[in-house]
Amino acid sequence: MSRTLRLIEKVEGEVSLSYRVENGRLRAVSTSFFSSRGIEKILRNREAMDALVINPRVCGICGHAHLMATVRALESAMGNPKLTAKAEALRELTLTLEMIQNHFKWFFLTIAPLLGMKSPIQAAIEPSRTAASMIAVVAGQYPHNSYAIPGGVVCEPTIREKSILLYSLEKLIGYFTRYIVDTDFRSIEECEKIENILRMDGYLPQAMRLIMERGWERLGRSRDRFIVFGENGIFRQGKSMATRYYPSLRPDYIEESFVPESGANSVRYRGRHYETGPLARAMVAKRPLIREAHRRYGDSLLSRIMARVCEIASLLHYCRELIAGIDLSQESYIEPGEFPQSGVGWGVVEAARGSLIHRVEIEEGLIADYSIITPTQWNLVASDAEEGILHGALEGESADAPIELIFKSFDVCSVCTTH
Amino acid sequence: MEEKRDRKIQIVVGALKLFAEKGYYRSTIPDIAGSLGMSSGNLYNYFHSKEELAQEAIRYISSYLAIRIREVNESKKSSREKIEDIVRIYFETARDEPQMIDFFLRVYLSNREVFSDGCEGMVCVNEFITEIMIFFEEGVANEELRNQDFFTAFGLFMGYLGGMVFLYGERMLPKALESYIEDISENIYRALGV
Amino acid sequence: MAEKKLLLWLSQLACNANAHSLLNHPSLEEFQKSFDWLYHPLLPSLSSLDEILDNYEEMECDILLIDGALCAGLSKKGVRMRDMLEHFAKSCSHILTVGTCATYGGIFSAGGEDRSGLHFDGEKRLDGFSDFFEKSISLPGCPVHPEIVVSVITALAQGGSLPLDSYRRPKEYYGYTVHDGCSRNEYFEYKIDRHDFGHLEGCMFYEHGCRGTYSAGSCNMILWNGVSSKTRVGEPCHGCTEADFPTRGLWRTEKHMGIPARLPLGVSKRAYLSLAGVAKAFRIDRFHRRILEDEE
Repeated sequence: MSRTLRLIEKVEGEVSLSYRVENGRLRAVSTSFFSSRGIEKILRNREAMDALVINPRVCGICGHAHLMATVRALESAMGNPKLTAKAEALRELTLTLEMIQNHFKWFFLTIAPLLGMKSPIQAAIEPSRTAASMIAVVAGQYPHNSYAIPGGVVCEPTIREKSILLYSLEKLIGYFTRYIVDTDFRSIEECEKIENILRMDGYLPQAMRLIMERGWERLGRSRDRFIVFGENGIFRQGKSMATRYYPSLRPDYIEESFVPESGANSVRYRGRHYETGPLARAMVAKRPLIREAHRRYGDSLLSRIMARVCEIASLLHYCRELIAGIDLSQESYIEPGEFPQSGVGWGVVEAARGSLIHRVEIEEGLIADYSIITPTQWNLVASDAEEGILHGALEGESADAPIELIFKSFDVCSVCTTH
Repeated sequence: MEEKRDRKIQIVVGALKLFAEKGYYRSTIPDIAGSLGMSSGNLYNYFHSKEELAQEAIRYISSYLAIRIREVNESKKSSREKIEDIVRIYFETARDEPQMIDFFLRVYLSNREVFSDGCEGMVCVNEFITEIMIFFEEGVANEELRNQDFFTAFGLFMGYLGGMVFLYGERMLPKALESYIEDISENIYRALGV
Repeated sequence: MAEKKLLLWLSQLACNANAHSLLNHPSLEEFQKSFDWLYHPLLPSLSSLDEILDNYEEMECDILLIDGALCAGLSKKGVRMRDMLEHFAKSCSHILTVGTCATYGGIFSAGGEDRSGLHFDGEKRLDGFSDFFEKSISLPGCPVHPEIVVSVITALAQGGSLPLDSYRRPKEYYGYTVHDGCSRNEYFEYKIDRHDFGHLEGCMFYEHGCRGTYSAGSCNMILWNGVSSKTRVGEPCHGCTEADFPTRGLWRTEKHMGIPARLPLGVSKRAYLSLAGVAKAFRIDRFHRRILEDEE
């Protein structure tokens, strides 16, 4: 039986999806990527600090998460030097802003056209441009800065930067109300009833209604296993099998293995594949609205879309707290001392698409080995198709189903995967 | 302008000779004017004070050495050969124009208060220092000299030469100054080379 | 503009930051109304990449934008990217290499043997696409500033003249150095060689590897995201617009006996050291105090 080959594009690059159709159902689903850029090889034998400049260039939309994973990996190899609360808050803030621009772009540039929504281009551009300029006011530019270095951050924001942040955030919140859901953004976090959202104005309720009208709300269900490595003011580490939650994970239980037909590495935790990303974060952190969506629709495309878009509200709230908490009089940077001649470090962050993990090994003062595990690897690449997450979402699905929408509900990043 | 400049240089050259004979502090403006066959009043047309004259003198010496070292820097020689050339320039100056090195060591380096207003830091010997820096920088860039702090290298090089010239001036060296050039150059190269 | 020019954005080995950066242009919505995209990896386009891969031989564009390092072995759906680039290069009126990777090879060229920019591999001129050299314009930067892309496309559409340098970079943007307009310039001018991370004060040229004085770019003249720049916040310029990006030791200044190994663009060693010697002779108290310190 012949295989169908589809180019899935506008997923930060492209992915090739292939499957067989048997009796109208998808079988033997697999993905493959067109190239690998060899970042890990490029890093080898370089000075450790160079990774701070190279690694953001892994990805044009989540490069800042790669910077944060890098600086944490380097700091971990150095024995975790002390940071001031101000430096920590600034790092959290710019990382969170990057996630916000990601989510807006994904919803309005990737998902909206698939649902035939007529949202204006401004819905993607205005918030992402505002979030980018907020990152730049702290970090110099966006995309591609390296303002977080072992010991803190390079900048010294003043009242100018703080007030730009303050008012720009209000603008972002305004965009959320205008384009996502026409309600106080805080009420989304507390909302427990899907009907309440459906009754509101905005492109999120519209998208949900469109999905339901077409009967797609339960499509794209997969293994119902979630994993979250990063932990901060709003995310909790742990894994969740359906609704059972297990705290505390160990990065050394992660196994990576190259999948030749895919051209990328698959990732497992103690032998099993897990879904990572906003749905996983909402399940592990037990966010009421998303747990309700999960109870009704399972780990479906609708739950994924709701989790990602509603996460913006939590992220905005987190930004507000972070900005308010910044004490400008604190130091930005504390000299962390010399790099060790040898050592191993892990850097774990929650990026827009899920858990991002960096591991660095330093020998004789240089990078001897560097490995990067990206969220899309968790969700898309499987060493065992019987177990893979995307595979679970598509395997056995009707050939008439919205395959591209199911695929893109994972918010795939091809360039990250082909680092 | 050109004429005034030449006349100033003549005064500096004459003053350096007098300073070497009588000492800087014991030489007065009338002494200097007298040694040049000019009136004190006329000399004041060129320099308003002895300090100003002293500052011009150190700039003159710095420039005198810099022009010669620049020729070395612009040659295609190895760092080892350049060291020898610079040592030779320094020693020949000490032999042929002893008043210059004497002024540099005994007046400039020993009486910083004279130079505090107008010759801050190394600004009046800038031309000379610049050439030494270029010599060092190129030596490191060509991987002939070991990379290190500028002052550790500069102190070794110039301190050594200054010490030898001081011994020479005090007539404590048993042999002619030039006869030491080769060994000293070798020592400096061994200390600074890779 | 009588009719809308047709733009085509083709990504090679790219991270997509040039594409995302374009979205940060303050007048993107208005720009979008003046041009059509045959394809852009993020923005609404007339065709899908899939359609282009299937039918590219029957398609044309006015301005071809190439993003990412070229890779001899790169194919998508069995179509060699090189063949596709050549096809569009022949018929288009202008080619823009968007970003450092497409211009010089950039970071990713170190990941394999068969990778380079369109016309350059680092500083080395390549022959492969030399027939199109005269219609090419280089817009390096990692990423390139969105304003550069937008104004160059606009200028080309309007048919104005665009002075270029030997790398075919528009001089309006690359005739300056990143140093021009840096808020830390006084510390450079007066040779205050101390810089501590996390402080508003100090110049990063002396210790922390700032390449701003010899990197072509306008980062401090056309601010990033309209608000700031790397050097303004206190991150050294890493020279991301240059043919040798990324060099090694990006956070420290290479020095020979204490003298910076690389000096400001076009300034001779003798000129630099003479000026530095004079500046260093004077201690100017203002530059040794914190800017935000309360005064008596």
